[in-house]
Amino acid sequence: MKKIFYSLFACLFLFIAGCDKIEEDNYLIYSGSSVQWYNGSGVADKSQRTLLEKYTGVRCVNCPTADVAISAAQQAYNGQLIAVAIHDSSLAFCRPIGNSPDLRTEDGNTWSVFFGISSEGTYPMALVGRNSVASSWDIFTPTSNIESHTDAALAQNPSIALAVNAAIQGDTAIMIDVDIEYLTSRTDSLTLTLFIMEDGIVATQRQPDGTDDENYIHNHVLRDVITDPWGIYINDGRSDSDISANNPVAAGTKRLGKCLYTAVHHDWILSNCHIVAFVSEKSSKRILNVAECEIE
Amino acid sequence: MKKHLFPFAILLAFPFVSNGQGILGGNVTGNFQIDGQTSKLDTVIGSRNLPEQMHLNARGDILYTNGNFSAGIRYEAYLNPLEGFRAEYAGQGIANYFVSYKTQDFAVTAGHFYEQFGNGLTLRSYEDRYLGIDNAIRGFNVLYRPYKGITLKGLIGQQRYFWESRGLVRGVDGEITINETFTALQEAKTRLTLGASFVSKYENGDGVNINSYVDGFKLNLPNNVASYALRMDLSHGGFNLSGEYARKGADPNDLNGYIYHKGEALWLNASYSQKGFSANLQAKRVDNMGFRSVRTDKYKETLYINYIPSITKQHTYAFLSMYPYQTQTSGEMGLQGDIIYNIKKGTLLGGKYGTDLHLNASAITALDRQGIYLPLVDSTMLDAPGSDGYTSKFFGTGDLYYADLSLEVAKKLSTKVKLTATYGYVIFNPVTEGHEGDLHHNHVAIADLTWKINRKNVLRFETEWMGSDSKYDANIDDKRCGDWIMGLVEYNFASAWFISLSDQYAYHDGIGNYYNISVGYTKNATRLQLGYGKQREGIICIGGVCRQVPACNGFSFSLTTSF
Repeated sequence: MKKIFYSLFACLFLFIAGCDKIEEDNYLIYSGSSVQWYNGSGVADKSQRTLLEKYTGVRCVNCPTADVAISAAQQAYNGQLIAVAIHDSSLAFCRPIGNSPDLRTEDGNTWSVFFGISSEGTYPMALVGRNSVASSWDIFTPTSNIESHTDAALAQNPSIALAVNAAIQGDTAIMIDVDIEYLTSRTDSLTLTLFIMEDGIVATQRQPDGTDDENYIHNHVLRDVITDPWGIYINDGRSDSDISANNPVAAGTKRLGKCLYTAVHHDWILSNCHIVAFVSEKSSKRILNVAECEIE
Repeated sequence: MKKHLFPFAILLAFPFVSNGQGILGGNVTGNFQIDGQTSKLDTVIGSRNLPEQMHLNARGDILYTNGNFSAGIRYEAYLNPLEGFRAEYAGQGIANYFVSYKTQDFAVTAGHFYEQFGNGLTLRSYEDRYLGIDNAIRGFNVLYRPYKGITLKGLIGQQRYFWESRGLVRGVDGEITINETFTALQEAKTRLTLGASFVSKYENGDGVNINSYVDGFKLNLPNNVASYALRMDLSHGGFNLSGEYARKGADPNDLNGYIYHKGEALWLNASYSQKGFSANLQAKRVDNMGFRSVRTDKYKETLYINYIPSITKQHTYAFLSMYPYQTQTSGEMGLQGDIIYNIKKGTLLGGKYGTDLHLNASAITALDRQGIYLPLVDSTMLDAPGSDGYTSKFFGTGDLYYADLSLEVAKKLSTKVKLTATYGYVIFNPVTEGHEGDLHHNHVAIADLTWKINRKNVLRFETEWMGSDSKYDANIDDKRCGDWIMGLVEYNFASAWFISLSDQYAYHDGIGNYYNISVGYTKNATRLQLGYGKQREGIICIGGVCRQVPACNGFSFSLTTSF
C-alpha cells in the first residue's frame, strides 16, 4: 500500500506542476506595435512614387516572364515604381513545389480576394496604385504594358509626401518611423499601411517551359502586413469621422508615426528585407504615395 | 545529432559476433531496409527530374538483448530523401538509441522510446516509416506494477524533429484491471479496466511575439500546457464497450490559429462478436485537440504529442483509398459502423464454401462553430488569434467532411478460385486537405479474383472502376479527379517470385495514365523488389495521419531483410 501511495504522490506532483492557467482577461499583452502619432518635421523628398502589386505563384509558368518585365520597368522608373510580389494563401498556383519554402501570406489572400485577383483565375496579375477604371480595379497581366499603368498612377500631382526609416531593435524587433506631409488640403480620411518584404529568397519556381527551377531567386516577396491590411487612420488629433469639407486636414500638416514591429519570423533574413509604407484614400483604396527603406 | 558516436561505442564495447548470435550470452537481432527511386520530368502527371538522379531512404535497426537488459540503435540515411519526405531528413546518422532494463514489475528505458497512453488522446509516441513520421521521445520512461492489476507509467523527454530533439514532454499514466486487483472478481464474466493519464508540455512563451486580433497586442502564452484523459474498457462475453474522454488546457499554436479555446475529445467504441458475425460501432468528437510540443512549428505532421484515432475504414484497394480521410484535429464529429457476416456453407447464398460479407459505413462532419463577441474591437469574430476562437454545441454538426460506404462480398468459387467483389461510395470534402472546392462523389466497383493454380503458383486479377462527379481543373490541380479504370495482374510463382502489371487510366474528366510493373523475389527473411512506372500525386494516410505524395516517374527498388 505504501508503494501505491508514493506512486500517486509522484503523479500528483506532476499534475500540480504541469499546467499554466491564463484567465481570459490576461490573454493579451500590450506589445507597443501599434502606430503612435506625433507632430512631424516634414518630408524633404516630395516626389511622387507608386506601388505595383504583383500577384504571383510558384506554379505559374508566366510569372518568371513578368518578373523580368517588372524588374526592367523598375529600373526605367528609377525608384518611382516600388514592386511587391504577393503569393495568395488560397490558390493552387501559389502552393509550394516539393519541399520548397512557402511564400504565401494570409494578408496576400485578403488583398487578392478584395481586388478580384483570385476570382480572375489567371496568373500573374498586377495592380498599380490601386487604380480603378470604369468602377473596376485596373488589373492587368504584367508581362507587358507596365509603363502605361505606371504612367497613369504617376500622373497625379502629389498630395502626400512620405518617408520611412526602419532600424533593428534588440534581436527580433524593428522600430519604424514614417514621416508624412500633406501637400494639399484633404477633406477625406487617409490611411497608412506598412508591410515588410524580402529579396533573395531561393524557392522552386515553375518555368515557361514547364520545368521547375529549384534555384529561382524571388525578390520583393510580401512577408507580412505590419498594420491592418487596409491601413490605419493617420491621426492628427481628431477622430476619423470629424474630417470633412468644412473641417479638412490642412496643407502643410506634418505627422510622424512610430511603430515597433515585433513579429519578425526567424526564417527571414532582415538584411534582405525592406519596409514599405503607403498612404491611401480610405474609401477608394487609391494609393496616394509610397516609400520604401532598408532595415538598418 | 547526425554524428552520435556514443551509441556506437556502447555496442562496440561488446565483442561482436557477426552471425547474429551470442554477445556475452545475449542475442542480437535486427533488420535493414533500403528504398530508392529515380524520377524524370513528366509535365502531365507533374513529376520532376531529380537533380541527383536517384533518391534513397535506408535504415538498419540492431537490437541486443541479454536477460532483463536490452539496447538498440537505428542508423538512418536519406541520400537524398524520397519524394514526399521532408528535406530536413537529408543526411545520415544514428537516429535512435536506447538502453532498457525490464523485470516483471519494473521497467526503465533511457534514450529513445515509443509509448502510448490509452488510445493516444493524450500521448502517443510512434513511428511510421512510410509516412515519414517519427515522434520518438528521447529521455526516460519508467513502468511500475505496484500491485497485481495495477500499472503505472511515467516519462519525460524531448520529441524527435528530423535530426534534432525538440520540446519537453512529461506524462504519467495509471491503469487498473479490476478483475486482477480484486481476487473475488477474477473469474467474473464481466471484465473492467479503468485508466487515467496526464501529460504536459513545457515551452517558454516569454518574449515570443505572436500578434493578436487587436493591433498593438501580442499573446500571453502559457509556458506549460496540460491534457488529461479518463478511459474504460468493459466486456461481457462477446460484448465490449470502451471509451476515452480527454481535455486539454488553453494551447494557442500555429495549428489552431493561436486561439485559447480549450481542447476536448471523446472516443467511444461498442462491439459484439460471435462465430461468423461481428458488429462494431464507433463514435468520436474532437474539438481543438491537436497537441504538439512546439507551438510555432510550420509542418502539420511533426512534434505531435497525442493522436486522434481514425474511425474511417483503412481501404486497401486503389480507388477506394484514393481519397483517404485526414483526421481534423482542429474539430470533427464522426460515426462508423462495421459488420462482418459469414453465410454458412451449404445454404442458398453460402453455396458450397460459404460467403463472407463485410459492410462498412462512416461519416465525419465539421463542428458547428460560432464566433464570439470581442469587446475590444466591438465585433463578433471567428478564430480571432488571442481569443477563445469560437463556441460549439456538443451535438452540433457543420459541413460534411467525409462519408463512405462499402460492401465487400468474398466467395470461394472452387477449391482454387476465390472472388472478392466490392462496391464503395465515397463523399470527400477537399477542405480536409486544405483547399477549397465542391464535394467529390465517387462510386467504386472492384473485382478481385485469385486463382491458386497449385501450391507454388498463384495468379491474381484485379479490376477497378471509379465514376466521379469531379473534373480535373488546372487551377486546383487535383490529379485524382475524373473517372478512372484500372487493371492489375499479379503472378506469384515458385513460392519466391512475383511479377505485377497494373495500369490506372483517367478515361473521362481526368488526367494521367499511370502504368506500373514490378518484380519481386523473397528468400527467407529477405525481399527484393524492383519497379518501374508512374506514381500519381496525392495523399497517403495511415490511421488518419497523412502525408503528401508528389508525382514520380521512374524506377523504384526496395530491399528488406531481417535476422
